[in-house]
Amino acid sequence: MGLLQELIFGLVTGSYIAIAAIGFTLIYGIVNMINFAYGEYLTLGAFIGFLAANALPGPLPVAVIAAMIGGGITSIILARGFFTPINQTGPVPMLLTSIGLGIALRNAIRLVGGRSARYIETETSTFRFDAIPEIPVGSVDLLGGFFITSEHIIVIASAVIVFAAVHLLLTRTDVGIAMRAMGDDESLARVRGIDTQLIRDSVWVLAGVLAGLAGVLMAIQTNVSADTGYSHILQILSAAILGGAGSPYGAIIGAYVIGLVLAVSTAFLPSSMTGLSSAMAFVILIAVLLVKPSGIAGSEVREA
Amino acid sequence: MNVRDRLPSGHGDRALIAGVVCILVGALFALTPLRVQLPSAFYVFVEVGILFVIYGMLVLGLDLQYGHTGLVNFGHVVFFAVGAYATAMLSAQDSFAGIALAYPWPLGLVAGVIAAAILGAAVSLTSIRLRGDFLAIVTLATAEIFHSLFVNFEDIFGGNVGILGVPRPIAAVVSDGDTRLAATLLVLGGITLLTLAAVTRLTDAPYGRVLRAIRADELVTRSVGKSTITYKTQSFVYGAALAGLAGGLFALYNGAVAPGFFTIQVTVTVWIGMLLGGAANHRAVLAGLAIIMGLRLISRFALDVTPVSSDVFASMRLIVVGLILVAVIRYRPAGIWGDPQELGVDQ
Repeated sequence: MGLLQELIFGLVTGSYIAIAAIGFTLIYGIVNMINFAYGEYLTLGAFIGFLAANALPGPLPVAVIAAMIGGGITSIILARGFFTPINQTGPVPMLLTSIGLGIALRNAIRLVGGRSARYIETETSTFRFDAIPEIPVGSVDLLGGFFITSEHIIVIASAVIVFAAVHLLLTRTDVGIAMRAMGDDESLARVRGIDTQLIRDSVWVLAGVLAGLAGVLMAIQTNVSADTGYSHILQILSAAILGGAGSPYGAIIGAYVIGLVLAVSTAFLPSSMTGLSSAMAFVILIAVLLVKPSGIAGSEVREA
Repeated sequence: MNVRDRLPSGHGDRALIAGVVCILVGALFALTPLRVQLPSAFYVFVEVGILFVIYGMLVLGLDLQYGHTGLVNFGHVVFFAVGAYATAMLSAQDSFAGIALAYPWPLGLVAGVIAAAILGAAVSLTSIRLRGDFLAIVTLATAEIFHSLFVNFEDIFGGNVGILGVPRPIAAVVSDGDTRLAATLLVLGGITLLTLAAVTRLTDAPYGRVLRAIRADELVTRSVGKSTITYKTQSFVYGAALAGLAGGLFALYNGAVAPGFFTIQVTVTVWIGMLLGGAANHRAVLAGLAIIMGLRLISRFALDVTPVSSDVFASMRLIVVGLILVAVIRYRPAGIWGDPQELGVDQ
């Protein structure tokens, strides 16, 4: 396969990582915690999507909307049950709680949903572009013919819509402006009369909606099993930290960098070592934390 | 003066004596024709017991890092794995895949400890300044990177099969199965007790007070002239080296290493054990680990009497384990035997 094809796969991967990473980074910025159970929110969203696609006769958007609503409700219930009561204890206990919750959720999903991978069936049309000349360099073809499916276009278009919606939310609505104020300085926000708990709750709902959407897009584009969310959490986290933890715009850039690096490393690694491409995301993560821990646009995370 | 008065009173010294006794008794079984016979219901206890004493070394090292110094290392398994792989690759006689150099096993064990310590030094030199939750992420990512290296470089690490043909020093001198298990448990348990004695000695000393001061307030510790970064690095490297020792001993007990033995599940088990028992208290973390690993025994016995598949049971056990972690942090942040005052956590 040509590099051009891998780049399209990279864009698609980057798109759903970006949607999830926005939610992840908003939680980080406003609730001040690394939510390690966030990958399970994606899986939950995908499974709600499966249920909706099977139970409801409606078209695909119905399943997507059901997954988003389900994701938002689950997220606020879990936050109220597990995270809000320990909000004052600091980042490390909250991280550990989310790790414990993640283990429990992942296995509960496996218990209910089984081990097998599933996907949402959609009618796909494929657009082929075979006339592009090949430029082979070693074993890698720098251009080459490629194809793009309607599923790819759905994923990328959904991501663009989400970016626009989040941007409008954060800049044009009172809730969004209050979110940014809280991310900046919680005490000052409270002094200005912002109901911080209400804003925290709305961030949880928003993050859950985004996770549900990312999960159901994954289910449409590839397939989802009980472990899918967990296997993506480090990529989401890398994207958020690369972009600067707490910054949604940084997270979008970070997600596409991660997606493209994964795709390009798949193209250049020998076929016996393609498993290493997922390790590339973690190498980027560590490199960013060592060189510029604040990411592309973010605040200091070093103590001393 | 009778013998009782001569016995040392500190926990550390008692652990030292108990450890030496265990190793001597174990050696007695291993080197003389003395034989033990275990009831067959006992096997599972001894097997989980051996794993417990090996994980015990991990939890003691982790407690040095987190309980005493406050370093959030969520990739502890990587040091365990590196120790095991280094030992296995140097000492394996003839492996199906991967490197097998067939050096004597003591050399392999030393190399395992050193390799883990070097990795610990590399991680701490680069990342020890990061805030707690970010250090957790870096160590976790390090563990994931090494895991995928072990799986993907088949020529070096043997891929998913791992490295076979690692010498088993105790199995080599004891042919009888029951005696071998008992001797292994005694020798490894003795080494864990010696480790307990060593870390108790370290943390009872003024050195340990500095570590706990760093955990309580790093700025204050720095302001009284202690180089906190040096102390944190040392504590991290000691913990890593201990994990390397545990890994090397695991390889020599198991006779093979493979990526499947070194998943994030190991990290999670020792973390939950430590938090449940009570961080910063060496005997408490071992007790907490015993409770968590005891759950494995329960689920194994319950499996025989309930009509559910082992898959379902494994999922149910992990749900319980995850919820225990959540509950401990929320309702008993200092653990069962921990001291909330000393740990500085809000109840």
